[in-house]
Amino acid sequence: MKRKVAIVGGGQTYHASRRHDVNQVEMVNEAVRAALANARMSIDDIDAVILGNMEFFEGCHMTDCWMVDGSGAYGKPGLKITTGGTVGATIVCAGAHHVASGLFDNVLCIGFEKQEEGDTGAILSGVAHPLYGRSMAGAAVGYFAMMATSYMAAWGAREVHSALVAVKARQNARKNPYAHLKLDITVEDALNSRMLAYPIRMLDMCPSSNGACALILSDEKTARDRCKKPVWIRAMETAHNEQFELDWRDVRTKRPIFSKVCAARIYNKLGITDPAKYFDVFEIYDPATWAELVWYEDLGLCAPGEGFRLIEAGKTDIGGPIPVNPSGGVLSTNCIGASAMLRIWEAALQIRGDAGEHQVPKKVRRALTTAYGGTNWTVMTALSENPGD
Amino acid sequence: MPNETMEQELIDIPMTVDIPYRFAAGPYLSKFLTELKENGKFFGIQCPRCQRVQMPPRIVCAVCHVKNGNWVELKPEGILAGFTIMYLPLTDPTTGKPHQPPFVYGSVRLDGSDSVLDHFINIEPVIDKIKVGMRMRAVLRPRKDRIGDLSDILYFEPPAEQKKSVNEEFS
Repeated sequence: MKRKVAIVGGGQTYHASRRHDVNQVEMVNEAVRAALANARMSIDDIDAVILGNMEFFEGCHMTDCWMVDGSGAYGKPGLKITTGGTVGATIVCAGAHHVASGLFDNVLCIGFEKQEEGDTGAILSGVAHPLYGRSMAGAAVGYFAMMATSYMAAWGAREVHSALVAVKARQNARKNPYAHLKLDITVEDALNSRMLAYPIRMLDMCPSSNGACALILSDEKTARDRCKKPVWIRAMETAHNEQFELDWRDVRTKRPIFSKVCAARIYNKLGITDPAKYFDVFEIYDPATWAELVWYEDLGLCAPGEGFRLIEAGKTDIGGPIPVNPSGGVLSTNCIGASAMLRIWEAALQIRGDAGEHQVPKKVRRALTTAYGGTNWTVMTALSENPGD
Repeated sequence: MPNETMEQELIDIPMTVDIPYRFAAGPYLSKFLTELKENGKFFGIQCPRCQRVQMPPRIVCAVCHVKNGNWVELKPEGILAGFTIMYLPLTDPTTGKPHQPPFVYGSVRLDGSDSVLDHFINIEPVIDKIKVGMRMRAVLRPRKDRIGDLSDILYFEPPAEQKKSVNEEFS
């Protein structure tokens, strides 16, 4: 990047399945005010505002235009980003590029979703091709269920392994005051929860949340002058997949698929040979338990086919050597347009040492986050306490 | 936490957005759907560079960014790459009606194709009866009832379960 970029502040709303106490604009403003307060800035310090959410989830288009009061974009340049499940990270990517280019010094990034106001399943089915696959659009649950049966058949994993992921996520969420599903559950609870689409049970899936996240990105001078604990964006990478080719469905594929391509690119850029050692914490986009196991493998935290061994051995626990999603992850909170940004903000909190009760016990210097969505694509972000390392 | 102390009534109003569209399939998908309807045949298209046979057919190979060339007729048979037993009464967006659960649907990779196709699987929704890697064969609507979309495929099922009368539909 031409100029170094830091996260100098951020904020999130609390997350819940009902937020009738606020409308969309009011909810967005809640996150914006939290982020400004956290960065010790006023809206006058902000040069540009980038906002995003899932297309039409709340029944309104052009949310960047009609949310100007709540977002703080009045009189300022800005734009809307809408890239599916990845949107929260794509907003940060766009913000980082604007700061890195020298165009702006301080950019406010906002991701939100108020899922209760729309029909998520119905609108998601509109993502599928109208003549090819829409009739079968089994919402996200069907997609991940098929991936799971493929994963189980390929590697010999069993339902208990996904249950371990379900428990880890919700137990971590209990330590996160902003998380949606704070559930004191056991493996037995997960294995006995209602079957939605074999082998995906209720506790294998993310909730449908309302909430927003906002981040403020600044150039190096502002970050050093005004922020005690800037978190530096070391690298961001995006990799698309192609429509119709559901590569995550075939966990043994040898094709250079989005997740592995993106990870390889970011590791190459930063000279990383062992990501499990290089990064101190991971915040990954896990809408379903099985997706987390596939991420372990695609990120190179273990060999292909060993993701379920990693969770079995407790390696990715909050106190383990490779902590994954100490926040509770998407499995505990999924306000889709904000979810990928929450991964970045939660990782930044870990680097700052500000995560509170869900702070991982070891020293955190570097973190990696992933986003996931659309027709299978990802945005990854590598963060560090040090702009050069 | 939410503002529980607020005493005023909070209004939320149910609304439905109903928007008509006309979707143009283009020549590649049109040929695929026409062959399915008229002749009960599946066609993929092959990239001249990487040789992948892609289904549904499309103009450009996304990987090589070259124009796809050869049309490849595929047998209506393949293997089950993944499946689920769906217990939720999900609405079929194309009809507005729910599919009756439990039902099985899966991803089938037709022999010779690099792509998978998602569709219903006609098999008892019992986990012991379904395996990734099973052979599958498509069952189509009778010719006179086909309309030129994927619903012309009724389902896939293990070839052993197919009756002679069904196979005749492909002739």
